[in-house]
Amino acid sequence: MAALCAATAIIAVVVPFAGGLALLGTVPMGLVSYRYRLRVLIAATVAGCTIAFLIAGLGGLMTVVHSAYIGGLAGAIKRRQRGAATVVASAVVAGVLFGGALLALLALAARLRHLLYRAMSFNIDGVANALRHTPGQAVTADQLRDAFDAIVPYWPAVVMVWAVLNTVFVTLIGWWALSRVLTRLSGIPDVHKLDPTESDSPVAPVPVCLDDVRFRYPDTARDAMGPLSMRVDPGEHVAITGANGSGKTTLMLMLAGREPSAGAITRPGAVGLGKTGGTAVIMQHPESQVLGTRVADDVVWGLPADQVTDVDRLLAEVGLDGLADRDTGGLSGGELQRLAVAAALAREPALLIADEVTSMVDQQGREALISVLSGLTEHHRTSLVHITHYNDEAASADRVVRLSGTAENVRPAGPEMVHTAPVPLGGADAVPEGPVVLELRGVGHRYVSGSPWESTALRDISFAVHEGEGLLIHGLNGSGKSTLAWIMAGLTVPTSGSCLLDDAPVSDQVGAVAISFQAARLQLMRSNVGREVASSAGFSRRDRPRIIEALGMVGLDPALAERRIDQLSGGQMRRVVLAGLLARRPRALILDEPLAGLDADSQRALVALLAELRRTTGLTVVVISHDFAGLEELCPRTLHLHRGELVEATVTTGGRS
Amino acid sequence: MTAPAARRPVVLLRPVPGDSVIHRLWAGTKLIAVAVMGVLLTFYPGWGSVAAVTILVAITTWLAHIPRGVLPSVPRWMWLLLLVGGGTAALAGGEPFVTLGSVTMGLGGVISFLHVTAISLVLLGLGALVSWTTNVAEIAPAIATLGRPLRALRIPADEWAVALALALRAFPMLIDEYRVLFAARRLRPRVPAQTRRGRRRQRAAEIVDLLAAAVTVALRRGDEMGDAITARGGVGQISAHPSRPRRADVVALVVVTVMCALAVYAELFTPLANIR
Repeated sequence: MAALCAATAIIAVVVPFAGGLALLGTVPMGLVSYRYRLRVLIAATVAGCTIAFLIAGLGGLMTVVHSAYIGGLAGAIKRRQRGAATVVASAVVAGVLFGGALLALLALAARLRHLLYRAMSFNIDGVANALRHTPGQAVTADQLRDAFDAIVPYWPAVVMVWAVLNTVFVTLIGWWALSRVLTRLSGIPDVHKLDPTESDSPVAPVPVCLDDVRFRYPDTARDAMGPLSMRVDPGEHVAITGANGSGKTTLMLMLAGREPSAGAITRPGAVGLGKTGGTAVIMQHPESQVLGTRVADDVVWGLPADQVTDVDRLLAEVGLDGLADRDTGGLSGGELQRLAVAAALAREPALLIADEVTSMVDQQGREALISVLSGLTEHHRTSLVHITHYNDEAASADRVVRLSGTAENVRPAGPEMVHTAPVPLGGADAVPEGPVVLELRGVGHRYVSGSPWESTALRDISFAVHEGEGLLIHGLNGSGKSTLAWIMAGLTVPTSGSCLLDDAPVSDQVGAVAISFQAARLQLMRSNVGREVASSAGFSRRDRPRIIEALGMVGLDPALAERRIDQLSGGQMRRVVLAGLLARRPRALILDEPLAGLDADSQRALVALLAELRRTTGLTVVVISHDFAGLEELCPRTLHLHRGELVEATVTTGGRS
Repeated sequence: MTAPAARRPVVLLRPVPGDSVIHRLWAGTKLIAVAVMGVLLTFYPGWGSVAAVTILVAITTWLAHIPRGVLPSVPRWMWLLLLVGGGTAALAGGEPFVTLGSVTMGLGGVISFLHVTAISLVLLGLGALVSWTTNVAEIAPAIATLGRPLRALRIPADEWAVALALALRAFPMLIDEYRVLFAARRLRPRVPAQTRRGRRRQRAAEIVDLLAAAVTVALRRGDEMGDAITARGGVGQISAHPSRPRRADVVALVVVTVMCALAVYAELFTPLANIR
């Protein structure tokens, strides 16, 4: 129910935009009606209508209602797996109903009808008058006038015919697009993990005792976790570590209430997920954890209606005091996760599970978050289970459980990934010798300039990137580093100054500078790896040798070419993006937060690969990041960006002045 | 290279910074007022109503200290459309006639065109005023309160409010994701097909790809947020300090009602009723 609700809400957001892209608003709505019940479609429509109204007034609202009506129809037919004949037949019926409603409205609003009629007839008259003064067109003018006058008495029929034709046409397009999208997604991927737990027994999740527990996902040949025996006592801080694929997340799911495939989990009472005194879970993605638009709203989000919460005390405990009225959209990853901790504490949980909560948080945020988590078991009667792949984070725990996984259960390293040994770069390598590739001259950028929302992202940035250079642009949240990346790739035209690639504005040569965005998934558009690489590099998808060459360049196995995009790991996705970008031989490669969301091993392997590429092919690399760790070998030169300005002199390790 | 004259983009769902009587009004009051005026303009779209609503819009704008900079730049094709529409209507002539020296002009067409345009603008302005003066966090709780009577009819208004709250929360995140999606598409080399049929197919395939990517992103985000909701034990409160209507809200609603009543009176019983 929860996942459904969220999906609905999000689909509702899509609609006003897709609606703008002519006719395609029906697809998201069709998807909702394909996947869920009518009730959900209605909730999505209400939410979509409100947003559309706030964006585009009553016109936007009408567009959403129309999209929902027709998309709902297309989705319902699709679910029943009927064909084109059913689509046309039901669209005709729906069109008649729609036309009827329109006629009823026009009949009621007689004055509006008269007004519209007058406006239309004046326009027709005007066109006729203009034609009459054009030599040889007088007859056409009269015909136009007469035709309009002849039609007017039959306006209800005209409206009806228009409504039916329009409905049939739009339904057919919506149905076609929906079918194509569904084929393309081959069903709809469902990646939700947690299931709500229903139980009548009193809530008491700890002490929990796992006895020889194993877990196997349906349709798989081996256990994802186990056998494992462990216990978590009240007030205890347990850290769980292990490599990728050792079953850390599976263990979290079982602690949160999923039944094991073998063995037994014993608790004194129910798990009580999200209930007072029950189990609370904090997960990986900071943005998806936070559900409220304002900080204070998020703390109480989902609590029973009658519960009173001391929001300020909870916020103070996680170090967010004074931020209660701030928008959650402006918080950094670390702050968002601490907010999620506050929301969990509002439920006074007996068991708090933190599942890799720091993996998408920068260094500073990580330290603050860990200190908040470590303090919890001292101030609350809460057991903390902290799942992490960082050893230093496990140090503050009372006890560490290492999941080694069963022998057959640890994911093999090959053959899909070739690990290259890091090649240390000599001092001479670090000096940029080549000619200037990218040059920024006094670049400044303001968003929505001239309006009350104007904000300055960058001020007077000047520097040059030399061929074959490795440059790190370092800055914290809100320093304007992503804006700078977009400007350097030519995607954003700066409001002052210029960014030149080979002495011409880079915004006129979009594509010449490659950029890899933080969210690799957004950059992957085709269905499988081979097609994706071909499309992004610009060669035919049947050109296998070049696809294999491109994959080889980023250390991916050719066998991966047939793999579906949705089945790739985070590290693989980033490599596939790089394969597509590098196959075009870009003048420079910009990487925006390339290490975000990758585990330690994948991070090391990616940096080693990029350093190797830079050394062997002379690739120019610009990394934009809030982390230094591990990047020294790839980027000998560092620029610091602070609140939109370059601070300190350029730090060069290679001796360049 | 000179920077192009800055075009102001549409800023979505962000209130104009500042604090004013209008900013402090309960979100529900604003929604009710807008709904009432929408109904008024649908059933009595005469000049009287247009005038009444315009006056209210003007007063609100002044009270809320909304600067001129909030208006987005109007795209060129819109001006062109207005010009063509206005031009053809003007050529129609019609009553009333005005004589200037030796030239007699019929202004009926122009007036009728201005009338329709004014109604569209005023309707747009009403929606814009709500988004310019309301923090998005206040909208969903207001809908929940307004929808309370509907619960008696077994209509799940609370569910709607939750869906709306989540949608508004997801909105900025998705906008960012779509920006990246479109940027990634711009970066790709474009190899136009040779035949017209080929080009059409290519365009269709591209749209499907883009839709599929957008839908995947949206569903993934939805599933993650769904997990977060499950982890919190389902839905419940959505606001820490739900605001309630106060005296200012009563005043605002009275003003709106009086203006609407005046407009209806003018439309029905004054000479305005005869101007068509």
